[in-house]
Amino acid sequence: MNTIVSTHNLSKYFNGICRVNEVNLTVYKGDIYGFLGPNGAGKSTTLKMLLGLVKPTKGDVIIFGKKFNKNRQSILSQTGSLIESPSYYGHLTGLENMRILQRLRNVSNKKVQEALHIVRLEKQQNKQVKHYSLGMKQRLGIAMALINFPKLLILDEPTNGLDPNGIREIRELIKSLPQRYGTTVLISTHLLSEIEQMATSVGIINDGKLLFQGDINLLKAKSKSYISIKTQNNKLAKKILLAEGYELKQNNDRLIFENLPDAHIAYLNKLLIGQGIDVIRIEEHRKSLEDIFLELTGRERSL
Amino acid sequence: MIKAVTLEFFKLRRKKIFLMITLFLGFEILWAFMSVSISLSRNPNSPVWESILTTTASMNGLFLPIICAIVSSRICDMENKGNTWKLLISSNMNRKSIYASKYLCSCTLLLYGIVLQAFAITVFGIVKSSTGMLPLSLITRFIGGAMLASMIILALQQWITLAIKNQAFALCFGMIGGFLGMTAYFFPETVRRIIIWSYYTELCPIKYHVTNGSLEFIKQNPGIGMLTTAFLLVIFFYMSGNYHFSRQEV
Ligand SMILES: Nc1ncnc2c1ncn2[C@@H]1O[C@H](COP(=O)(O)OP(=O)(O)OP(=O)(O)O)[C@@H](O)[C@H]1O
Ligand SMILES: [Mg+2]
Repeated sequence: MNTIVSTHNLSKYFNGICRVNEVNLTVYKGDIYGFLGPNGAGKSTTLKMLLGLVKPTKGDVIIFGKKFNKNRQSILSQTGSLIESPSYYGHLTGLENMRILQRLRNVSNKKVQEALHIVRLEKQQNKQVKHYSLGMKQRLGIAMALINFPKLLILDEPTNGLDPNGIREIRELIKSLPQRYGTTVLISTHLLSEIEQMATSVGIINDGKLLFQGDINLLKAKSKSYISIKTQNNKLAKKILLAEGYELKQNNDRLIFENLPDAHIAYLNKLLIGQGIDVIRIEEHRKSLEDIFLELTGRERSL
Repeated sequence: MIKAVTLEFFKLRRKKIFLMITLFLGFEILWAFMSVSISLSRNPNSPVWESILTTTASMNGLFLPIICAIVSSRICDMENKGNTWKLLISSNMNRKSIYASKYLCSCTLLLYGIVLQAFAITVFGIVKSSTGMLPLSLITRFIGGAMLASMIILALQQWITLAIKNQAFALCFGMIGGFLGMTAYFFPETVRRIIIWSYYTELCPIKYHVTNGSLEFIKQNPGIGMLTTAFLLVIFFYMSGNYHFSRQEV
C-alpha cells in the first residue's frame, strides 16, 4: 500500500509508432518523483495515460492500489494535475476559474483562498485570465491542481514560463508538500537541475523507454569522483601499481582510479617517481548528473 | 446533472450570449412583424394569429439554425480555446456528462429564445387582432414545434462542433442549413423529411397554402410518424456525437 502509482508495461502507439514503450513506473508514498527526459521522450503522454486523458494501447495503470479503468472516479477525486500548457477560461477571472474547479471538486471557499495564496495570486484574482502573463497562468494552473490538496499531484513541467524567482518559489512549495499535506508528487521536466534540487526518486525516459528508475542517491552515486593519472610510461606504471594492489583501469593515455583517498594519491605519486617514472598529470574528475543523463539518453544535444 | 448545467451557465459569464440571442431574434421578429403588418394592411381579412405564426415559423427556418450553430459553437469552443478539456476530464467529470450538460445548456438557451419569440408574437397578436382571443394551444404548439426542431439541429451541430475543431466549418454548416430551411417549401414532401431545417415549418401548428393565387391557412397536426422521426433524429444525432466525443483523446 506504500506504492501510490505503478504501471505495468504501459505503452502507447500513435499512428502505429510506439511513443511509450512498456514503461513500468513505481512511485512510493511521500516521494517527489522526478520524471526526466528530453523533448518528445513521451513524458506528457505517459502522464496523460495516468489521468485517463489518453487511452493506453497496452498495459495497466494502478493508482492508490486500484486499477485506473475500474476506479476512475475515486482515483481522480484524490488527484490533482497540471498537464502541459495550463488550462483556463480566458474570459473569466482567476477567481471564477477557481470557482469552476471548486464546484467540480466540491471544496470549501477556504481552500480556494488557500490555494490562491500559496501561488501568490490573491492580488490578481479578479483580473480576467486572458490578461494574465504566462507565469501567472502557470501559477493559476498550479493553484487549480492544488485546490483539493490531493494525495497525488501530477505536474507536467510546472515551471514553464516562470521567472527564476518563481521557479524557486514553486520548487520550495513542491518540496514542502509531502510533509505539509502528505502529498506524493510526480513531476516531469527536462531540466536536470530542477530534479536534482527537489526529487527524492527519479525516472529517466528516452524515446518512450524508461532507462533508469530509483532513488536519486543511486543516480548521484554514479556521479562519484574518480582520479586520472598520466605518466610518461603508463605501461610500466600500471604494472607497478597493480603489483601494489591498486585497482585501476586504463583509458587512452590515462590510468583511472575510483575510490582513491588523498593519502594514497600522495603515496602513489611518490612511488612512481621513486621508480623513475615521471608523473605528468593527476586530475580529479566528477561525472555530473548531466553526464549520466546524456550517457543514458545517448544524446549530446542540449536538453 | 443540474449542477453540471449550471456550471455551463457560469462559464458563459461575460460571453453576452443572452444578449446575442435577444438581438438576433429581435431582428427576426421585427422583420416578421413588418412583413405581416404590410400584408394585413393589404388584406384586412386575413387572420392575424395564423399569419404571424406561419411567417415566424418560416423565418425561423433561416434564423434558428444559425443561432443553434452559434450557440453550440460558443459553448464548446471555449473549452478548445483554453485547453480546458483535460482540466474537466482529469477533475473527475466524465465525458458523457460534459456532453450532456453542454447539450442541455444550449437547449435551454434556445428555449429562452423561442419563448421570447412566442411572447412577442402574443403581444403583436393581441394588439393587431380584433377579437382579442388568445389561441393558447396554437402558441404552445408553436413553441413545442420550434423547440423540437431546434433540439434536432443542436444535437447535430454539437456533434459537428466537437468533431471538427475549426469552428468555421460548424458555422458554415449552420448557415447552409438555414438556407435550406428557408427554401424548404420548394422541395417535395419526401425530400423535406430529410432536410431537418425544414422542421420549423413542418412542426408548426399552422401552414399556408397558395391556391389559385390566394393565401389559405391550414391547421396541421404533426402525425405520430412525423414526431417519431423527429425524436429519433434527436436521439440518433445525440448518441452519435456522444459516442464520437467519448472516444476522442485530449
Ligand atoms: N496526439 C498525438 N498524435 C500523434 N503523436 C503524438 C501525439 N501526442 C504525442 N505524440 C508524439 O509522441 C511523442 C512523445 O510526446 P510527448 O508529448 O509525450 O513528449 P514529452 O516527453 O512530453 O516532450 P516535451 O518535453 O517536449 O514536453 C512525440 O514524438 C510526439 O510527437
Ligand atoms: Mg511534454
